[in-house]
Amino acid sequence: MRKLFLLCCGLSAAPLFAQSAIEPVLPTPSRTAQGDVAVTIYNENRALVQDRRELALPGGRSRQEFPDVSAQIRPETVTLTGNGIGIVEQNFDFDLLTPAALMQKAVGETVTLVRMNPASGAETRERARILAANGGVVMQIGDRIEVLRDDGLPTRVIFERVPAQLRARPTLSITLDAAHAGHQPVTLNYLTGGLGWSADYVALFDELNGRMDVQGWITLTNSSGTAFTNARTLLVAGAVNQVQRAYQVYGAYPPPPPPPPPPGGMIRAGTQTAGRERLGGFYLYPLPERTTIADKQTKQVSFLNVSGAPAARAYEYRNGWLGSADVAQSVSSVLRFSTERGGGLGDALPAGTMRVYQRDARGNPQFVGEQQIGHTPMGSSMSLATGESFDVKVRPLVVERTRLNTSPRWKTRMLYEVSNAGPAPVVVDVVQDGLWGDTRITDETIKAERLTADSARWHVPVPANGRAVVSATFDTRF
Amino acid sequence: MGVRALLAAALACLSVMARAQAIITSPAPDKVAVTVYRAPNASGTMDLEWLQGFAIVRETRRVSLPAGESELRFEGVAGGIIPQSAIIEGLGVVVEKNRGAKLLSPGTLLDSLLGRRVHLRRISKATGAVREQEAVVRASGDGVVLETAEGIEALRCTGLNETPLAQTEPAMLSAKPALSVRLRTAHPMAGNVILTYLSSGFDWRAHYVATLTPSGDKMALFAWLTLANGDETGFANAETMAVAGRVNRERAEVLAPEVRPISLSCWPSQRTHEIPLEEVVPAPPPPPPPAPAIMMSAERSEDIVVTGSSIIAQREALGDLKLYRIPIPVTVAARSQKQVALLDQPSARLGTLYRWRSSFANEQNEPVDAARILKMENRTDHGLGLPLPAGSLTLFAERNGRPFLLGEGSMTDRAVGETVEVVLEGSPGVKVAQRQVRRDGKEHEMEVVVTNDDAKPVHFEVRFADERKPLSSSEGLVRRDEAYWWTAMIPANGTRTLRIRYRVPD
Repeated sequence: MRKLFLLCCGLSAAPLFAQSAIEPVLPTPSRTAQGDVAVTIYNENRALVQDRRELALPGGRSRQEFPDVSAQIRPETVTLTGNGIGIVEQNFDFDLLTPAALMQKAVGETVTLVRMNPASGAETRERARILAANGGVVMQIGDRIEVLRDDGLPTRVIFERVPAQLRARPTLSITLDAAHAGHQPVTLNYLTGGLGWSADYVALFDELNGRMDVQGWITLTNSSGTAFTNARTLLVAGAVNQVQRAYQVYGAYPPPPPPPPPPGGMIRAGTQTAGRERLGGFYLYPLPERTTIADKQTKQVSFLNVSGAPAARAYEYRNGWLGSADVAQSVSSVLRFSTERGGGLGDALPAGTMRVYQRDARGNPQFVGEQQIGHTPMGSSMSLATGESFDVKVRPLVVERTRLNTSPRWKTRMLYEVSNAGPAPVVVDVVQDGLWGDTRITDETIKAERLTADSARWHVPVPANGRAVVSATFDTRF
Repeated sequence: MGVRALLAAALACLSVMARAQAIITSPAPDKVAVTVYRAPNASGTMDLEWLQGFAIVRETRRVSLPAGESELRFEGVAGGIIPQSAIIEGLGVVVEKNRGAKLLSPGTLLDSLLGRRVHLRRISKATGAVREQEAVVRASGDGVVLETAEGIEALRCTGLNETPLAQTEPAMLSAKPALSVRLRTAHPMAGNVILTYLSSGFDWRAHYVATLTPSGDKMALFAWLTLANGDETGFANAETMAVAGRVNRERAEVLAPEVRPISLSCWPSQRTHEIPLEEVVPAPPPPPPPAPAIMMSAERSEDIVVTGSSIIAQREALGDLKLYRIPIPVTVAARSQKQVALLDQPSARLGTLYRWRSSFANEQNEPVDAARILKMENRTDHGLGLPLPAGSLTLFAERNGRPFLLGEGSMTDRAVGETVEVVLEGSPGVKVAQRQVRRDGKEHEMEVVVTNDDAKPVHFEVRFADERKPLSSSEGLVRRDEAYWWTAMIPANGTRTLRIRYRVPD
């Protein structure tokens, strides 16, 4: 089997191995030691790798190395299964092969020195025993003790072998007990950091017709230090609780902190089930075909394509407390849509960034803002704050604030001036926040909707190139 | 080996063959459009080394693709590309989009050669004789260990001139982060592909130049649109636009390119005169030096291109934003700044007033300059009436046909119909002082004196940021914006005085 594999790969790599005096010790990138790999990637920088390899096992106890596992493998999560195979012990070695380690391990051993005559270039060979390698290398040559290259002249040191415990990369090795000798498939499972994914959405908003087209892309990134070759890939949307790691494997970068919970933009969570594979409450997104996830690669695969979903622009302004602004403030411009079946995107949306585009006068899409969304069930109402309006502004003003004589309470009269320099009439949702305590609205020009105990909202229609004013009086304890 | 295994091996062979797909490279865009967005909270001039805005780049590329599966590589994209924002139009079935950030560098090259054969070349210092031998890279992480026919050796610990030579360029490494797509087409195709992406490292500003007419109540208002490209990629003959208004941005994680020098640490190699007396335990080998920033060697050319002001950016509405289009294709060169006219209003009305912010209890015994404020109504009948993007303003007057600088200030985004105020530095001729003149228990009396050395009367405003009404005042105060205001005309070469009595709060 292996011979055949080599044969067919040899077609492309033949010139490299033609006159081979020294057999390469590690597989080349085109010949990974990985077998049939399946990768399940979770959002928060974590992945489960399943690697089915064919091992040539002697009967009984043997030590097997598993090169090309993830450089950020969590060794405590490794399991190996195979027919008639028992695990004796499992090691994760990160004593790395470096010139310094090579010399340290050679203490007490004999090496060959090749000295070069600086004038003639003539070489002389000597055998030397390494006595110590502290600060400098002290060695014994015949009956002399010498410091290596103390004379500053070129000297080659040739070691006979690489000590077995020194490795080019951190290596997983497992000692196992095989019931019978021969080639057999084994399955290696482990968790690793360095792989993560999120969604990226491209929304092309047609404001005139109140529609938008949305494409969804799965973006996965591999910073694990290892490529996964020809892997079946499954992405899981949702947070799985993770035990904090107490230590870092040598050479592994600390994973970036998980992104803060996204601000959302979800007004109401949906209750519909999307037509996607689900397991244990998580939506699963299998990639349609095998793919090679190279190290330091960002890979995107399409998973959603919706056209003509209803969407509308809306304006919101939130005044944090009963205070004034010196100059008029731009209102936030939000995009409202639904993810329900029929009147919306008709799918659950995994967490990610939605980028909104609109066509300019020449019909080319231009970027108008983006917002992060969380994992969004199907049927949710969404409101994405994409930016601020240039033309629609609100200026809150405290007109009057007086203490009521009869009780220890205050009366505050507020004015909200809403202006619209745009050519179309708009409706602005003006929200007064910070109404904590038993604040009452005693008088108002438009009826407010009390959203919560703390906030009230007015729907203010504003004509094109015009303005509207809302006045309200608050009765507050402070 | 059973039949099934044979079959599996044959399938493995096939899949290996299938991966040998055609690689097509698109070296550069044929047509490009760049739209630049300002940094949020942008003010002042741009730091060309640290541009916080961004751009959307739209590239049209002509490609021809064979039938079947192929990989299309886009070269010459902006270095600040946010790969997850890339949109590709005009292709068949896109299987996946990829961006590799493992770059070709001495360290990553040697890493990719781990376990592979290299040539080791040694040149004798004495005779110049070149010797080459085969070697296998056994370790490359922290120092390089090679295996030769003679045994195991460490690279460059010998004092010899020696270097490993790779025989082939590894396919996985590229010079710059490369964006590519894997795609499948039923028939060979040739056509235009449109690649759109966001890129960091761009910014723009509006800068207003106002020139006062001799009468002083009108000005010519001109504005520059200054855009900067801090990227190493330039865009020739680009359709160029700038967007005013605020758009929401999210943090985008972009994998940093991996580049490394070869780490050449050796075993302890101090010589007898170098060994410190107190050292007992050898220090661990030093960590490999950090990867140098790839931009470091990039050449800096900060051309400041000022194009003629006969071309004015055209304005259009883009959703809730304002888009300014430069009407002719221009070249947005790498690491450069470019200016075109944003607007030109030859005769706009403006008022000048002086404002001083104070409170009843404030004491200012020595007269100080009051802030000078330019006030404009953004209306057509005032010679304006167009969106004014945020920016700085420089005010000039003319003296004997030569411009004379009066001051500089800044303003935020102002829509049509709004009042625009630009605060300039104070002018030395208009001064204000506020003194306490009488104290009677909790009742204090203050005197505000404003002087004007100009031969013309000036508008003056004092804003008292107080909540309680004063007991009395010698002139009328107006309650506005949570404050009491005194508005007065200060006569030419004259003085105005205000007296206020107020009660200190308990």
